[in-house]
Amino acid sequence: MSSKKILQFIARFAIPIIIILFIYNIYSHGTIIHPGKALFKAQCSQCHGEDGEGIKALVPPLQNSDYALRNLDSIPCWLKFGINHPVIVHDTVYDQPMYPSEIDEVQTANVINFMNREFFKYDREVNPEWVKEKWKNCK
Amino acid sequence: MRKTVLITVLFCIALQACNWQSNLPVYGPKTAVTKTENGKQVIDSLDYVLPPFQFVDQDSNVVNTSTVKGKIYVADFFFTSCPSICPKMMKEMLLVRDKYKDNKDVVILSYSIDPVRDSVARLKIYETKLGITSAQWHFLTGNKDSIYYLANKYLVSASEDPSAPGGHIHDGNFILVDRKGRLRGYYDGTNEQSVQKLLSEMDILLKEKNNE
Ligand code: HEC
Repeated sequence: MSSKKILQFIARFAIPIIIILFIYNIYSHGTIIHPGKALFKAQCSQCHGEDGEGIKALVPPLQNSDYALRNLDSIPCWLKFGINHPVIVHDTVYDQPMYPSEIDEVQTANVINFMNREFFKYDREVNPEWVKEKWKNCK
Repeated sequence: MRKTVLITVLFCIALQACNWQSNLPVYGPKTAVTKTENGKQVIDSLDYVLPPFQFVDQDSNVVNTSTVKGKIYVADFFFTSCPSICPKMMKEMLLVRDKYKDNKDVVILSYSIDPVRDSVARLKIYETKLGITSAQWHFLTGNKDSIYYLANKYLVSASEDPSAPGGHIHDGNFILVDRKGRLRGYYDGTNEQSVQKLLSEMDILLKEKNNE
């Protein structure tokens, strides 16, 4: 084989294979995860649990939360200003306060998209503009 | 190659064996006392022990030093309206409670650092929210200064701070206390690994003889 052919061979097969292996590697090691998932794990899971299961009657579950589904438009406000009123999830009343999270509109959109997909099974993507719009009307 | 594996395995076993017998530290400053032994003056050092205390729990029962006499216990500081680390601490403390719920030698004391608001009734509601009724886990309220004084004696921090979420700050420590009222371990009550360590060290402490 001439050196030119070898180079061609590498370009055609080896490089894509290396790239695929590289991406696969990152994926399987979890380096690339949904940005909302990372945020949830860091800032929400200590209370709501990694699987959104909540803590007894202290912290409500997010998993299939009927309350969150009914009030999707309020979630940006809850995250920005906290929750200081009782909430009813799956017929149980919760009234511990939730303190405000210090996250910007991009992070808020990410974590809401993560919850929509993972917990509420609700097929909707929101974006930072939508979050900012909702923030204007927080009570 | 075989040899390396064998040595590693043996080393690990040996290490485990050491671990098995290891004793837990005793925290706090020791005090020196002079006593007379066989007509001679000798200086002895006494371990730090917690001062006597008395508070009221969620069932209006008086809980004091004799409640925990001869028992080991885990203490922490919290308040019912605490929005930050308390839910997580409770979740972890439930593990302690579940593991030792039939063990009469184990007690849990959760002191409220907001005792003015945390009345007996409020503590009872909090217990119900945790889904337990437990004669072993006492949620305590009482004189505010006494509780802060005691927190100090447990060598942990607790204070009022209007700018903190909920108006109080405290660290999330779980403190392990032995049958004689000595401080034997500190664990981060918001960290799973740390609480696993607590559970295994409680087993060690339970095996320790109560020679007094
Ligand atoms: C310190 C504990 C804590 C943290 C951290 C926390 N929450 Fe909450 N969350 C609560 C509590 C307590 C409630 C219930 C509030 C009430 O009863 O008034 C709640 C309620 C909610 C609700 C509405 C009720 C439900 O179950 O659907 C949503 C949605 C929610 N939290 C999302 C989040 C997200 C997203 C984060 C992370 C950015 C987060 N929370 C972080 C404690 C916490």
